[in-house]
Amino acid sequence: MKWAKAWRLSDIILIALIGIFFGAIFMGTNYVYDVLTAVLAPVGLSGLANELLLGLWCMPGMLAGYMLRLKGSATLGELLAATVEMFFGGQWGISTLISGVTQGFGAELGYIVTRYKHYDWLGLTASALTTTIVTFGWDLARNGYFKLQLWLLILYFVVRFCSMFLFGGVLTRLITDLLDRSHVLKSTHTN
Amino acid sequence: MNPSIKLLLLFIIALEISFTMIISLNITLVILAMIYLLAHRTKLRTIGWLLIVPLLPAIGLWSTQYINGSGNKTLMAWVLFTRIYAFVFTGATFTLTTNILQLADALEQNWHLPSKFAYGVLAAYNLVPKIQHEVQIIRTAGLMRGQQLSFWSPKLYFKAILVSINWSQNLAQAMTSHGFVEDAPRTHYRHSVLCWQDWAILIIGVGLLQVGIFLVPWV
Repeated sequence: MKWAKAWRLSDIILIALIGIFFGAIFMGTNYVYDVLTAVLAPVGLSGLANELLLGLWCMPGMLAGYMLRLKGSATLGELLAATVEMFFGGQWGISTLISGVTQGFGAELGYIVTRYKHYDWLGLTASALTTTIVTFGWDLARNGYFKLQLWLLILYFVVRFCSMFLFGGVLTRLITDLLDRSHVLKSTHTN
Repeated sequence: MNPSIKLLLLFIIALEISFTMIISLNITLVILAMIYLLAHRTKLRTIGWLLIVPLLPAIGLWSTQYINGSGNKTLMAWVLFTRIYAFVFTGATFTLTTNILQLADALEQNWHLPSKFAYGVLAAYNLVPKIQHEVQIIRTAGLMRGQQLSFWSPKLYFKAILVSINWSQNLAQAMTSHGFVEDAPRTHYRHSVLCWQDWAILIIGVGLLQVGIFLVPWV
C-alpha cells in the first residue's frame, strides 16, 4: 500500500466532499436525462442521452486527477463519488460501483500514459480519450452496444468523446484555472 | 452477513450478468432479490418505486436494440430490459439492508483498508444533507447578484470546491484533535466479524450462479 502513504486525511475528505458536491449538482440534471431519453426512445436513439451527459458524470474523476496530482486520485475520486451515490439515493446499486471503477480508471489511464507529468491540455485530452475508450468497452457488454449497427456505434463513440472533452477537459480546465487564480490549492497542489 | 462479502458476491453477479444473455436468469435474480427484500421487511412502496424508476432507461435500451440492433433484435432488447432490473434489484439487496458505516467497518477491520480512508469517507458522507443545502445557498447567492449558475458554469463548481477545501481541513483538524492518528493502530468499539458462514454463502452463491449460467437449460 505504498501509494496510500501519500494520501493525507484532509486529501481523502476533500476528494470525497468534491464527489458529493458534484453529485448534488448533477441531481439537477436528471430531468435533462429523462426528457432526452423519453424523446429519443421512440426512434431508438435513447443512448444519446447517456452519451451526451456521460462526460459530466465522469468529471469528478478527471478533475480529481488533474487537481490533486496524486497517483490514484482520479480512480479514487470517481470511486468515492460512486460509493456515496450508491448509498444515497442511487437506485442503480452495485452497477454504479462498477461504472465508478471503470470511469475512474479510464480517467487515471490518461494520466498514466502521460506519466503523471502533463497537467495541461495533453493530459486532459489523453484522459478524455482513455475514459471514452474504457467506458465504451464496458458499455459494449453492459448496455449491449456490441449488437448495435456500426453507424450508431461510431455516432455514440464520437458523441461520448465530445462530451468527455467538453465536461472533463474544457470545464475541468476552466474550474482549475479559477482555483489557480485564487491560490487556494497551494497546500495540496505541489504533490 | 458480512457486508464486504455481500458486496463481493453482488459484484460478481453484476459483472457476470453483464456478459450473459439469458432473460430467465435475469428474471430469476429479480425474483430472488425481491424475496430477500421482503424477508427483510422492505416496504412494498419501496419495491414499487424500484420497479418504476428504471422503467424509462429500460425502455430506452429496449427500443435502441429493437430498432437499431443487429442479429436477434428482440432477444437482445429483452435481455437488456431485464438486465437493468436485475442490476437494480440485486443492488437494492445491499443498499437497503446495509449502511455505509457497516461497510466501512468491514473493509477496515476485515480487509485492512487504511483507517484514514474508512473514516475520511465516513466524515464526508455524513455531510451529504449539508452539502445539498450548500449547493442551494451557492445558487441563491449567485441569483442575488444576477448570475444564473447552471451545471455547466465553472463558477458553481469552483465555489463548491472552495467550500470542500475549507470543510475538509476543518474536519481533518476536528478528527485529529479528537485523537485520530493517521496510520496508527486502532482499537474498535464496533466489531465486524468475518466467519466461515460468510465464505460459505459466497462460494455457494457464486456456484449457483455458474449453474444458472452454464447448466440450466433456460427456455
